[in-house]
Amino acid sequence: MKLLAKTNRYYLLLAAALFALGGVVLYFSLNWALRNEVDEQLLDQQRILTRARTTPRTNALLGDSLRVSRTPVPEGLHDAVRYDEEEQTMVPYRELSFPVQRAGTRYWVTLRKSQLETADLLLLVLSVMLTVLGGLFGSLLVLNRWLARWLWAPFQRTLAELRAYDLHRRGPLALLATPIDEFTELNQALTQMSARLAADYQRLKDFTENAAHEIQTPLAIMQAQLEQLVQDDTLRPASAAIVGALYGATRRLSRLHHALTLLSSIENQQFALAVPVRLDQVVAEKAGQLEELAAARGLTLRVVVTGVPVLTMHPGLADSLVANLLQNALKHSLGGKVIEVTLSVDALVVANAGPVIEGDPARFFERFCKHHAASASPGLGLSIVQQICQHYGFGLSYTFGPAGAIHTLRVDFSTPITTT
Amino acid sequence: MKILLVEDEPGLRSAIVDCLVQDGYVCEIAPTYALAHEKIKLYQYDCVVVDLTLPDGNGLDLIRALKADGSAAGVLIISARAALDDRLTGLGLGADDYLVKPFHLSELNARLKAIIRRRQFQGQQQLVFRDLVAWPDDGRVFVHGAPIALTKKEYDLLLYLLANPQRVLTKEAIAEHLWGDEADASDSFDYVYTHLKNLRKKLQEKGAGDYIQTIYGLGYRLRDV
Repeated sequence: MKLLAKTNRYYLLLAAALFALGGVVLYFSLNWALRNEVDEQLLDQQRILTRARTTPRTNALLGDSLRVSRTPVPEGLHDAVRYDEEEQTMVPYRELSFPVQRAGTRYWVTLRKSQLETADLLLLVLSVMLTVLGGLFGSLLVLNRWLARWLWAPFQRTLAELRAYDLHRRGPLALLATPIDEFTELNQALTQMSARLAADYQRLKDFTENAAHEIQTPLAIMQAQLEQLVQDDTLRPASAAIVGALYGATRRLSRLHHALTLLSSIENQQFALAVPVRLDQVVAEKAGQLEELAAARGLTLRVVVTGVPVLTMHPGLADSLVANLLQNALKHSLGGKVIEVTLSVDALVVANAGPVIEGDPARFFERFCKHHAASASPGLGLSIVQQICQHYGFGLSYTFGPAGAIHTLRVDFSTPITTT
Repeated sequence: MKILLVEDEPGLRSAIVDCLVQDGYVCEIAPTYALAHEKIKLYQYDCVVVDLTLPDGNGLDLIRALKADGSAAGVLIISARAALDDRLTGLGLGADDYLVKPFHLSELNARLKAIIRRRQFQGQQQLVFRDLVAWPDDGRVFVHGAPIALTKKEYDLLLYLLANPQRVLTKEAIAEHLWGDEADASDSFDYVYTHLKNLRKKLQEKGAGDYIQTIYGLGYRLRDV
C-alpha cells in the first residue's frame, strides 16, 4: 500500500469517528440548550400568571398556549405531542402544568410551547456545521494529495534512478539536490554509497584483470620449461611421471584461468562486438567436434533443427555458449544414451539422461559447483552459460528428474532472465 | 630458417629458443620493442614470433612496421590476451596466426612450420619423415610412394607428429591440437590413444617402420627406429 493511501486511510478513520461523535454531541447539547430555553420561557410565563391577576390582556398574550381546566393534571414540566392544524403534522410540545387558586376555586393551568421551530433550528445548525466540517476535510484530503505528489517527486526521481542503476555500466549515481532536507540527505547518502560501490567494483575488476594477466605469464613459462624437460632423453621414468603430472596440472590451471578470464570479461562487458550469428552453424560445428568424444563414451548426439535463429551477439560468446551446453550434457550423461539438441527459432534445448541430482538445481549455475568433488573440471561451464545468457537477456531454465530421467537445459532467446 | 622471437619474459624466451634451435631454426631474440624494431628494419627473417605486450611498446605496432615495409616474413602472434577482439585486430593487420599463452611448444612449432610453408613454398612443400610423405595442402599421405587412407583425425595427428619430429608430444598437446581448448582432457586422452593405435596400425600395414614411440605417462614421439 502506498504511504499516501495509508496516511489517508488513518485520516479518514479519525475524521469519521470525530464526525460521528461531534454530530451526536452537537445534537444533544443543542437539543438540551433549546429545551432549557423553552422551559425557562414557560417558567417565566408561570411566574407572570401566578403573581399578577389574570387579565384578558395576559390571557390574550398567552393565547393558544394557555389551557385552563378544573380537573387536576399532573404538575410540572413534560413533553407532549399534539396535532397542529396549521402545519398539519404532529408537533412536539413542551408543557408546564401548575395549580392556581382563584376566588376559592382551584384551577389547573397548562402552558404549552411548540418545539417545531427549535427542531428546524437544530437541523439547520447541524447541517451547516457538518457541511462545513465535511468540506474542510475533503479539501484537506485534496490538498494533502497534491502536496504529497509535489513533495514526494524528488523521492520518486531518486527511486527511478536507483531502479535504472547498473554498476556494470556506469559509475556512481548522479542524484540532484532537492529543496527538501530529508531527501537531500537521502540522495547524498545514496550517492556516497554508490561511489563507494563503484570504486570497490573498479578495484576488484582491475585486480582480477591484473591477476589474470600476471598468472598467465608464469604459467606459460612453467609449461614451456616442463615441455622442454619432457624432451630430455636422460629423464628417469620416475621423474618422467612427475614431470607428466606437473604438466597436466599446468594445463588444468590454464584451462581454469581461461574460464575465469572469460567470466570476468563477460561481467565487465568486454564483448561489445555484436554480429548476426547463425546458431545452427555453431551447433553443427561444436557437435562435429564433440561427436567422437561422445561416441567414445557410447553417447549419440542428435541435433534437430526446426528453425534457425539469427542472434546478434559476439561470435566468441555464441561459440562458448553452445560448447559449454554440449560439454555439460556430455559430461553428465549416462552411457549409451542419446543427447538431444533441439534448435528452434526461439530456443536451444539440450536434453540428456543423467544421474540423480542432489541439492538445489539453481546452485549448478554457481561457480565451482560441481557434481563430483574429485572431478577434474572446475565446474565453471554452466556459470559461463548463465553469464552469457544474462549478458544477452536470454532466459535460462533447468529441469531435471530422478536418476536416469531426462535433464533439460533450455535457453530462451526472447525471455529475459528471471533469476535474482 | 631464420626466426625473430620478440618476447620480454626471460623464462619463456629461453624455453622457446631452445625448442626452435633443436628443430634447426636460426633464432634471434629481442626482449624489447625498441630492439625488435631495430632488428626488423635491419635484417630479413622468415618468420617473426611476436608477443603483444612488451615493456616499451605494443607488438601490434611491430606488425604494422613489418607490413609497411612490405616484408615477406610470416608473423605469429603470441599473447596472454585471449580476447577475440585482440585476435581479430592482430589477424586484420596481416598476422598469419595467433597463439594464446600458455601454449604448447609443439603447437608453436606446428603453426610456425605451416606459416613458413605457406609463405615460402605457397604450400607446395611436403613433410617428409623417412618413408612417410605428407602433402599438407591437399591432404594426401604416402608410404613408400603408395597412398594411404586416413581419417581426418588420424591425418591431423600424423601431420602434428611430422611437424615435430623427434619431439615428445604430450597427451595434452595432442588432445588440444585435435579437439581444441574445449576438449575435456580426461576424456580425450583415451581417444588420443585410440587414434594413435589406429594410425600406427595403418602405417605398419603399408610397410612403414614403427616410428611412433610411446613415452609412458607423458605422450608420444615420432623418431627413427
